[in-house]
Amino acid sequence: MKKTWFKRFQPWIIPIIILIVWQVVASLEIVTPSLFPSPISVLMSGWTLIASGELFTHVWASLSRAVIGMLIGGLIGFALGIMNGLSNTSYRLLDTTIQMIRNIPHLALLPLVIVWLGIDESAKIFLVVLGVLFPIYVNTFHGIRTVDPGLVEMGKMYKLKGWKLFKEILLPGALPSIFVGVRYALGVMWLTLIVAETIPTEQGIGYLATNAREFMQTDIIILSIIIYALLGKLADVIALFGENRALKWNASYNKQQ
Amino acid sequence: MGSNRVKNEQAIQIDIKSGSKSFGDKQVLQNISLTIERGQFVAIIGKSGSGKSTLLRLVADLETLTAGELLFNNVPSKESDANMTMMYQDSRLLPWKKVIDNVGLGLDGQWQGKAEKVLDSVGLLSFKDEWPSTLSGGQKQRVALARALIHEPSLLMLDEPLSALDAFTRLEMQNLIEEIWEGLGFTALLVTHDVREAIRLADRIILIEDGHIAVDIRVQAPRPRHFSEHNLALLEEQVLDRIMFGEKPEKLKKV
Repeated sequence: MKKTWFKRFQPWIIPIIILIVWQVVASLEIVTPSLFPSPISVLMSGWTLIASGELFTHVWASLSRAVIGMLIGGLIGFALGIMNGLSNTSYRLLDTTIQMIRNIPHLALLPLVIVWLGIDESAKIFLVVLGVLFPIYVNTFHGIRTVDPGLVEMGKMYKLKGWKLFKEILLPGALPSIFVGVRYALGVMWLTLIVAETIPTEQGIGYLATNAREFMQTDIIILSIIIYALLGKLADVIALFGENRALKWNASYNKQQ
Repeated sequence: MGSNRVKNEQAIQIDIKSGSKSFGDKQVLQNISLTIERGQFVAIIGKSGSGKSTLLRLVADLETLTAGELLFNNVPSKESDANMTMMYQDSRLLPWKKVIDNVGLGLDGQWQGKAEKVLDSVGLLSFKDEWPSTLSGGQKQRVALARALIHEPSLLMLDEPLSALDAFTRLEMQNLIEEIWEGLGFTALLVTHDVREAIRLADRIILIEDGHIAVDIRVQAPRPRHFSEHNLALLEEQVLDRIMFGEKPEKLKKV
């Protein structure tokens, strides 16, 4: 009992030590507090922003960009992955093009995106879409292609065709790989958003950080970074929860392998 | 013959007329002619690469003859709606479906009651809500057997279904398969490299060598068969000699 409690606590030991060292170093004032604020002052300015409701507005703006971009990009990547996984014609037609676009660092398109789409929401969402599309495409495609052919043959023997074959065998077989893609895409999603929000804007965590830089509010810059970290962790926890629910069978299956 | 076997009107008769199969330049089966009667239990034996698995896959419609004809109940196989199911060496259960949903794979409507009945007949009803990964090898094959039986097959194909099991489980499964076949009377086609298994289960043993039917003998000993009986042990030895050393088939006597 005691041991499990300690095990649960273990992941937090290092973050807590870092916080304590940070606080101690900051309160020694080796560097001026305006450049190196203590965790407590970060927390205080965070509280002020929460109290004024400002923080919620910014988090909401960033979160909705992330979710919309993830949904659109995820769906396109998923659809392309399924299509190319199932059909060789579609694969020959599309994969080379997709791979070429995939190899362009999507953030390099930032200037072009600004010129074409302007600086409003669509530019930021477009970048997120582009960022999350490929990891989901690659993993969905790979998942479909690596489903055990023995199972597919068995399914055909038992008269499964078309949609039924897909629903009962191909999709569940590809699901573990698709979830790997989703979790990877979530990381890319935040990364893209951080960069995209440096495009002039009036809302969002990126705005909060950029604006704070203008006024040398180091505590708010650090706060923004911490919020990104927390949101990233939250997204990963949600994805993991979904994965565990959808792949209940996989846990015992993997244990046995 | 001489057994209390059920006559099954649904059971299928298989005719292969001058059937050949080649993959590219490689001829795997050459001019095979074979009639398998309704409800017969036929074992196909042979070394690896002899073409025995190809023969089974042809009947299962997983491969197509390069030349010749395949008939089910005197109708070309492609036009026939024969109800065939197959058991594989690996159970091929879907790991993401519970045992009972594996049994009901591909069925529509109210199949749960029937699935429970079939699971009961293979002795695994209490496992119906387990994940396949929690089952032993023998239990998995029982579920695979239940999945094959729920379709009330007119032909059951068995592709070395017991070769991955331990000796005791294999004996148990042989008894179970024999019992179910005697009860339901479908035509059964078993590919195996275990001569003793073939003799224990089959009415007829076909030895395939280099794409030909080398030996075709009937086993008429009463069931259940025990290897304490001298003639069965002798037959096993003769068949093995034939496979290993190419002894003349004339030496093989009917038992």
